[in-house]
Amino acid sequence: MSSAAAKRVPTYCYQCVAGPDLLTVKVEDGVATEVEPNFCAAAIHPGGGKVCVKAYGLVQKTYHPARVLTPMLRTNPRKGRNEDPGFVPISWDDAFTLIAGKLNAIRAEGLLNESGYPRVAATFGGGGTPQSYMGTFPAFLSAWGPVDMGFGSGQGVKCYHSEHLYGEFWHRAFIVAPDTPRTDYLISCGANVEASGGVVGVWRHANARVRGMKRVQVEPHLSITGACSAEWVPIKPKTDAAFLFALMHVLVHDAPRERLDLPFLVKRTASPYLVGPNGYYLRDRTSRKPLVWDRARGAAVPFDAAGMDEALEGRYEADAIEIGPDDAVLADGRLPGATAFTLTVEHLRPYTPEWAERVCEVPAARIRRIANEYLDHARVGETIEIDGATLPYRPVAVSLGKTVNNGWGGYECCWARTMLAALVGALEVPGGTIGTTVRLNRPQNDRLKSVKAGPDGFMAYPLNPTDKERWSPKPNIRNAYKTMIPLAADGPWSQALGPTHFSWMFLDETPKGLPQVTPPDVWFVYRTNPAISFWDTASVQQKMARFPFVVAFAFTRDETNHFADVLLPDAVDLESLQLIRIGGTKFVEQFWNHQGFALRQPVVASQGEARDFTDVASELAERCGLTREYVAAINRGVACVPLKGLGWSVELDTSRTHTRDAIWDAVCKAASAELTDGRELHGLDWWKAQGLMTNPFSQLDWYLLPTLVEQGLRFELPYQERLKRVGAELGARLHEHDMRWWDRQLEEYRALPAWKDFPGLWDDALREQGGEPADFPFWMLTARSMQYAWGGNVGMQMIREVSRNIAGHRGVIVNGATARRLGIADGDEIELATPHRSTRGSAVIREGIRPDTLLAIGQFDHWATPYAKDFGLASLNTLATMSLGLTDATGSGADVVRVSLRRVGGPRKERR
Amino acid sequence: MTYGPTPWVQRHWDLRAATNFVAGGAGAGLVVVSVVSGARGVPAAIALLAGLALVGVGLLAVWLEIGRPLRALNVFLNPRTSWMSREGIAAVVLGALAPLAAWLHATGSAAAPSTGALAALAALAFAYCQGRILRASKGIPAWRSTATPTLIVVTSLAEGAGLWWLAAPWHAQGTRAGITLFGLLLVARLVAWLVHRRTIVRHARASAALAPAGAVLAFGGTFAPLVLVAVAAVSASEGWVLGLAALAGALALATGAVYKTALVVRGAYNQGFAIPRMPVRGTPT
Amino acid sequence: MTRWTMIADLRRCVGCQTCTAACKHANATPPGVQWRRVLDIEVGEYPEVKRAFVPVGCQHCDDPPCMHVCPTTATRKRADGIVTIDYDLCIGCAYCAVACPYQARYKTQRATFAYGKPAAHETKRHDPDRLAVATKCTFCVDRIDAGLATGKTPGVDPEATPACVNSCIAQALTFGDLDDPDSNVSKLLEGNQHFRMHEELGTGPNFHYLWDKALPTGGIPALERLVEEAMELA
Repeated sequence: MSSAAAKRVPTYCYQCVAGPDLLTVKVEDGVATEVEPNFCAAAIHPGGGKVCVKAYGLVQKTYHPARVLTPMLRTNPRKGRNEDPGFVPISWDDAFTLIAGKLNAIRAEGLLNESGYPRVAATFGGGGTPQSYMGTFPAFLSAWGPVDMGFGSGQGVKCYHSEHLYGEFWHRAFIVAPDTPRTDYLISCGANVEASGGVVGVWRHANARVRGMKRVQVEPHLSITGACSAEWVPIKPKTDAAFLFALMHVLVHDAPRERLDLPFLVKRTASPYLVGPNGYYLRDRTSRKPLVWDRARGAAVPFDAAGMDEALEGRYEADAIEIGPDDAVLADGRLPGATAFTLTVEHLRPYTPEWAERVCEVPAARIRRIANEYLDHARVGETIEIDGATLPYRPVAVSLGKTVNNGWGGYECCWARTMLAALVGALEVPGGTIGTTVRLNRPQNDRLKSVKAGPDGFMAYPLNPTDKERWSPKPNIRNAYKTMIPLAADGPWSQALGPTHFSWMFLDETPKGLPQVTPPDVWFVYRTNPAISFWDTASVQQKMARFPFVVAFAFTRDETNHFADVLLPDAVDLESLQLIRIGGTKFVEQFWNHQGFALRQPVVASQGEARDFTDVASELAERCGLTREYVAAINRGVACVPLKGLGWSVELDTSRTHTRDAIWDAVCKAASAELTDGRELHGLDWWKAQGLMTNPFSQLDWYLLPTLVEQGLRFELPYQERLKRVGAELGARLHEHDMRWWDRQLEEYRALPAWKDFPGLWDDALREQGGEPADFPFWMLTARSMQYAWGGNVGMQMIREVSRNIAGHRGVIVNGATARRLGIADGDEIELATPHRSTRGSAVIREGIRPDTLLAIGQFDHWATPYAKDFGLASLNTLATMSLGLTDATGSGADVVRVSLRRVGGPRKERR
Repeated sequence: MTYGPTPWVQRHWDLRAATNFVAGGAGAGLVVVSVVSGARGVPAAIALLAGLALVGVGLLAVWLEIGRPLRALNVFLNPRTSWMSREGIAAVVLGALAPLAAWLHATGSAAAPSTGALAALAALAFAYCQGRILRASKGIPAWRSTATPTLIVVTSLAEGAGLWWLAAPWHAQGTRAGITLFGLLLVARLVAWLVHRRTIVRHARASAALAPAGAVLAFGGTFAPLVLVAVAAVSASEGWVLGLAALAGALALATGAVYKTALVVRGAYNQGFAIPRMPVRGTPT
Repeated sequence: MTRWTMIADLRRCVGCQTCTAACKHANATPPGVQWRRVLDIEVGEYPEVKRAFVPVGCQHCDDPPCMHVCPTTATRKRADGIVTIDYDLCIGCAYCAVACPYQARYKTQRATFAYGKPAAHETKRHDPDRLAVATKCTFCVDRIDAGLATGKTPGVDPEATPACVNSCIAQALTFGDLDDPDSNVSKLLEGNQHFRMHEELGTGPNFHYLWDKALPTGGIPALERLVEEAMELA
């Protein structure tokens, strides 16, 4: 039924972090009716120009009957889950007057409160995706000044937190990915790429499977990704580090040494660096450079000495100094040293497959076989030509998933994974384990340019200071990332990469030494629902109820904006305007051969009084007297791209406000200019018709190694001398201020990570809650749902309808034998409980899950969101408690809870 | 509704469709049995009309089930391949012949038996079409069995006979030969059911779902009435004969209805989805 | 001759339901009606378990039982193999639905919408002709016909290709002409081992499932299949 008035409008979808992807929307007589891939982009988009199922929910989103379509004002001053907010419609003018009134009062009083924390806070969810929908709002925040963006809504517990920090530290890999198009053997510990890798992830892995790549999925349940793998290894939850250590053990203790990539280890890692008796590098007395043993000279020389033949292994004596924390010289003279590699090999000795079998319940023979298969596939010594350059070719990789690479054990897993790559030279080379993009280093849009020489032959990394002069017990924001988490760095993303649950936890009781944490005076919330998506949702709700003034950009009512004072209806995905960068390398597996920009444009007119985010930002800036700063921020490039380049300028007049279209017209021109070196300045109309514009991007730039070689740098592996030092300094600083509540976390700063009884930590947590571990024998896990993850689309009927075709979207997945034992039949109502909390849902009986594991996909348990509130699904978030004890040194926690399980109403009599 | 490898019961046809098989089948059977039994006069006319009425009730029930009742006449458009079209045509023929034969019987016309025989043929065709309708339903293992048409036809006849004998105290035209025929039909129905049951035994869910109704058919609908019929056959008292035969008839009718209803709405499992090979993802272990 | 055929590569499919959603968009099907859907099938017992995602829908059989049983001739088969339904003839008896071994047919008695009342896009695309009659996957026959009319190739040019195939993010679905030995589908079948579902019923489905690459020796897979079929029949 095509209408004469039908047209197809190009736009983008960035609902999940695995995007952006490109689509067209069919519009008939002004009504959006149909989503299709952008076939014109098939040649440049690494997923064939397609979008995933979530994008098809956008039409229903646009016309959702429960949309908030006018600004709304809360009339009930009491806030609580059981309090009706009494929202009444108000005009935009009234809404702006109210909000600007609060903001201007803050400006008058001071941007920071008495504790030194910003009075204004903002929370955006979805791994940075809201920024692709909030127009120029970041320019408003930039103009405003300090804003606390550390109130978490899932960060740290729903993300790859350890990977973000350690990945970026070791190889500029905020997200780590296999080089899927060239990998032949992939060990995937819980990485659920088929559900969370987006269009491109699914596309690449499907091709790889058919090509013959063998993927071994190590995971307690048979996930979508496990299903699509050659082999499933059901591992005990939170024991992945033991499994990975055992793989390393086989590589360094069982395999002949020459099967490892020895030149890579010698030249491109710190393996030959000599470590002294106190665990710090032996250093040259004058240059203070780490020493290596030069077999040619028969002497220790600085790591960058010319013409040397470094010893990879061995123990040597050298005239050196050893420098510990706070520049203290710990030893000086003829000092015994061992190479970092030798220490690593010794460190790994106890971690045999037989040992690991007892820990992770994977047979030793299987671990050994997997390690050997990994080695057999590594092609050590082979090379490949990429865009005219010859690179090592190592088609083996290891990927880690959520719950594996966050919380306790995350450091160990990330280190083991990166080392498994390094041992065979498969780090940052074709076929190997590579990074996608940077978020803590700069510039964010060019990973290779972020590589700069740092200390000791390694890449520089913007660690937060731990020295006496610069470390401060007074953090800039409430989650204290700058004070507590050196690895979190201090960029725009760092706030969200700190311990974002601390912002909530500390509202009740701020630990000793930190300034008292109090609620922000004004809290902006957009495209996130922490009352559902974070740990310990009941307490998050109670705390947000204490916030004095909450401004929520609202699509529909939800559990978070239930506590808001003002609801603002923003123009949604198909109604608003924005230009973003596409291409290059982006997470999760977006590796492009192009890079450029794509436009999101109003496909249809906004419903009701919904207003484009850019208009809202401009108005707020004006009413707060910040237009000059706001427009200047846009000119600087806060809205995607700087408006001035070499020989061209489309900068906006900072003395006045500009319309939405005028702003984006300038941004569009600047983007065109950037891509054409100023030759072309295409305006908004051109971009609306074209949708996107790109330049070629060399595949060579997918790999970091050539950049390191070019700059003569090494990967900071295997020995973590710098982290050991930083940890010791941080400990010293904290103890100087009598702050001892972080001592357990300080133990994570080890030069060589060791296995700890990670599952046992959950036993401890149960006991702390007054429970007996034996009474809570099940591991409750969660997994991403491709249909829902990051989408904020829980209210879309169509998404629910189609997602229910996939097991687990109707309830909690329970192992068949477990269900029979407990008298539970498919569809029965079951209760999962911790000592103090419980959640209920239907049982979904499947065989693809360990008998001691329960799986609740996604994050539900809604009680206010229209449509979703009737789902009746169990949620892990209801049970998980925010706990300092379960927070690791990077400030993250794993998405795991120990629970009991029972059938509501008692076990069935007949056993099925 | 769940979609997966596990079969589930079709929901397209419900009690209304079952009514067509139950009432229409018994009605068609009544027409056939009354004619074969050599019924005459007003009772024969009433049997013919009652049989037709039951067929009508069945078709009315179906009419209430179809989505577009106003287009019902389109049902006749595909006699070339569709047993439903053919069923409709058989019903129309029966609808013309049965009243005619009834009128001829009522008026004592000599043409009554031959017209009645034609009507019986139409009724038999109707019942056969019903059997073939189910047989052609490839989505439902319990229906698509080769044994289904025989089962449906024999069941219809047995139920028709049951109805005829239920009314025997009133029409008083039962004969010993007729009661023997009734007994034979019950046996034939049991055999047809056993054969059918064997053909679907591989479809566990359908078999299990039909088992209770099958037991009812075997014990309440075959063995019990057979005993009654046997007792009636040797009984000297006319009253006893009629009473026992009527009771047997009621049992045959009711249990047939129970079984057919079960077949249409309870045992109508599809075969789910099945893949003979699991995909090989990447290089296997 | 032309014989339109769908291929689902089970090695590729991840069960994401993008095709399901795209079909719902392209065909404006009401809630609960999924002409294309992807099943999540698990076989075996812990820990020896396999899980597969299986796209299903109308198989456009060579010998479609739905067509034979249809009392109104509403269901027909085109020369190119596509099984169609004439909504104006259909009386909604659902006989075709019980005759279909693939559970591919739907009947929606009343107008239903995602949230009760019709939203703008639902009003725009609501088609009362499709109420109370049988509906099913059409292989996006309108796209095929319109595409062919403008010289496009179904299965190659998106304008002429079923929406599910266009949308597939794993390249698991392929559409093309099986009678053309050089077509994409012919080549895929040639280069891989495949099966059809419920083949023993003799409906001749035009929906093939790939499960592994072809064995190096050409004859063996065919032999293997024959043995399997024989065992299944037994």
